[in-house]
Amino acid sequence: MRMISRYTIGLLPIVIIMLLAAYPFMNDSRSTLILLSKIFIFAVFAMSYDLLLGYTGIVSFGHAMFFGIGAYAIGIVMYKIGDSMGMLLLALLIGVVLAAIVSYIVGILTLRLQSHFYAMLTLAFAGLFTVLAEKWRSITKGNDGFPFPIPDFFRDRTTFYYFALVFMILFFLLLRRFTKSPLGRVLQAIRENEQRTASLGYQVVHYKVIVSVVAGVVAALCGGMYGMTLRFVNTSVFSMNTTLDALLMTIIGGIGTLYGGVIGAALIELAHELLTSLAKVHPIFERWIIFFGLLYILVVMVFPLGIAGTFKLWLKRKKTSIPLGKRDDVPW
Amino acid sequence: MTLLKVEEIETYIEQYHILQGISFEVLKGEITVLFGRNGAGKTTTLRSVMGLSPISKGQITFRGENIGSLPTYEIARRGIGYVPEDQGIFKDLTVEENMRISILKRDESALEKLEWILNLFPDLKTLWHRKSGLLSGGQKQMLALARAYVGDNELLLVDEPSKGLAPIMVEKVMQAIEQMKEKTTVVLVEQNFFMASTIGDRFYIVDEGRIVHHGLMQELKEDEDARKKYLGIA
Amino acid sequence: MNLDVIVNLLVNGLATGMLIFLLASGLSLIFGLMDVLNFSHGGLFAWGAYMGVWVYVSTGSFLLAVVGAVLGGVAIGFILERWIIRPIYGNHLQQILVTLGVMLVLSELLKVFWGPNPLNAAVPPYLDGSWQLGGIILIKYRLFIIIVGILLLVGIQLLLTRTKLGLVVRAGVLNKEMVQALGYNIKRIFSIVFMLGAGMAALGGVLLAPYSGVIFSEMGMQFAILAFIVVVIGGMGSVQGSAVASVLVGLSGAFMAYYVPDLSLAVNMLLMVLVLLIKPSGLYGLKR
Repeated sequence: MRMISRYTIGLLPIVIIMLLAAYPFMNDSRSTLILLSKIFIFAVFAMSYDLLLGYTGIVSFGHAMFFGIGAYAIGIVMYKIGDSMGMLLLALLIGVVLAAIVSYIVGILTLRLQSHFYAMLTLAFAGLFTVLAEKWRSITKGNDGFPFPIPDFFRDRTTFYYFALVFMILFFLLLRRFTKSPLGRVLQAIRENEQRTASLGYQVVHYKVIVSVVAGVVAALCGGMYGMTLRFVNTSVFSMNTTLDALLMTIIGGIGTLYGGVIGAALIELAHELLTSLAKVHPIFERWIIFFGLLYILVVMVFPLGIAGTFKLWLKRKKTSIPLGKRDDVPW
Repeated sequence: MTLLKVEEIETYIEQYHILQGISFEVLKGEITVLFGRNGAGKTTTLRSVMGLSPISKGQITFRGENIGSLPTYEIARRGIGYVPEDQGIFKDLTVEENMRISILKRDESALEKLEWILNLFPDLKTLWHRKSGLLSGGQKQMLALARAYVGDNELLLVDEPSKGLAPIMVEKVMQAIEQMKEKTTVVLVEQNFFMASTIGDRFYIVDEGRIVHHGLMQELKEDEDARKKYLGIA
Repeated sequence: MNLDVIVNLLVNGLATGMLIFLLASGLSLIFGLMDVLNFSHGGLFAWGAYMGVWVYVSTGSFLLAVVGAVLGGVAIGFILERWIIRPIYGNHLQQILVTLGVMLVLSELLKVFWGPNPLNAAVPPYLDGSWQLGGIILIKYRLFIIIVGILLLVGIQLLLTRTKLGLVVRAGVLNKEMVQALGYNIKRIFSIVFMLGAGMAALGGVLLAPYSGVIFSEMGMQFAILAFIVVVIGGMGSVQGSAVASVLVGLSGAFMAYYVPDLSLAVNMLLMVLVLLIKPSGLYGLKR
């Protein structure tokens, strides 16, 4: 029984990836391809958030800011300068560098303090960027945003679909490598017991700043990808709802697992779709944030490991018969 | 008469098994001293009685009532006062405020006790409106003792009052505790054997979360072997 | 630049500062006492505004509106403390995460009850209009806010320094364990402070409504960000610090709004960043 379950679990991702790779041959509905592309992108976004919350125990309420920086960088460069491949790379680079600078500043300012300072400052900075995007009309066109062209190569939805799929797989592998590296081990040690890690001689603040920069940069890339999916950008990329997406996907999927982000992204994006279509049935479904918010509160309070974490615990318990719900298993 | 009876208590702090079965009895009107090395579990014993480090096993009986599972504030209201190792005074509050907060019910007997203790520690009277954080180490210790005393308590748990004090201050504090004994019962945690042995009636020696030896203070004073064995002093 | 503008900017800044103070002082006290940074505090502010406007529109009495909003805020605070904050007491990450969720739900619920569009809020007739003072126009309602703010500031100070509850609260900020060892049920004290903070936040909201003339669900988050800036500048746990920093943030906001409106939030953020760099515990921060 144990053999079978472990075997299936090892095989499952490969089967899923093969199915996803084959999907455009079976069905090339534009809207489904876009939805799946968005799921892939948000999966990476959630994983980048998981680096902070799940692997290091840092709460950020401004992850949208990096996402937005990436999206606006693409939009502005494509719209104002040109839509060649070279420009796309330049735009991604600008987004990445900006995100790195902002995350570095926020990190260096607050990561040496108690955890709520980082949450507060990221929230305030994200608010600042929202205002910036609203007010700097000559470049951002204010609230309404603007559409922009992208390089011809990515205009084909199927091509972009594969690109997004590869993006997700690549970043899953990269980030997993990152979390399993010596640096990643230190991060997890910080999450488990910050004081002990510090007393072992690690400069805890440095490690936290590094992870916040990595998370910010990856989020900016996701923002760029998102911009390319929609070929449109407005201030909503900076909004609290975008941060909420990251929070929900990571927490519902399961923190500290990376693949939890993939599960969470799929669930939340599908739920978005469903609730949007239900809005025609009853207007209460227009207020979908309530459902997500309540679900989120419930998960944080009673189910803090999320789906993937609980599953992992269940596997572990099967192997070693540790009782479920022991305090040590909750990573915070 | 037995005021406090601690039976086989066990306490965990995080995953560490700090107290592994501590038992002792405190008789009314006596000073009971807990000796032991650093990390033996003396402080945790006091904290467990106070409910600050909850016990996982065993029983604590105070005046015939089982208080082992009560929250800290209920235990305090039963009449147990606590002077922690760091004195636990509220540094931003004045001496007066520190005293006022410990008087739960402002009645005749509380005022009497206040007067008595201020006569014992006249320094506090002159520093009445000073911020307590500005007091000297010895004055802080007196404030902490006075505060525990006026709180209508029948039993005081005092954790290493000599710690960090100049020898002359230590003597003063010990004398004060001895005088307080007229009015109340004290459990004293001490490393300073010579000081504690002059005022203590009964002793318990704690090691690795257990009581390894106990008896009358007089016996310990006369028993050089036991002192050597358990306390490492001649 | 003429005196009229300066006086009016001062009045605006002070009035806004007082409203932020109502929000920030509760936030700061709750944090100081229990280490809970309540990210849903802005939601209580917005609820105060909506409940107040609703009562005002249905009864026509501003006094009832204020009372209703405050009571409503206290009630929501009670529910939050009892069923959301208390079960996860002592777990910081969980608390931060949960209170943000509560904030979002509170904001969305406003849209469910009162619709997604902004609502208009009127100034009660007896507080409407202005006084002329030697060529300077003073808007009555803004002065009213300043007076209420000052009264509350004095009231809180009296509560903290002259009453037993205040004494226990101040002691609790310094050393929670010892307060319990002296026989006080800190959880009960915390409930009371949380409800008090919630009531003040709601009061801030209901007073803001006629001042800004329009209310919307996102206002909670907007003011919460200002309140966070204030508690960082003033220092967590210090009511005095909140008062000083609120006035500072209110005034800098008012003057910036007049000269370079787009930069007003940025300037306040800069202030906060400076404080974080120089004295992270804030101007009046306690060293525990």
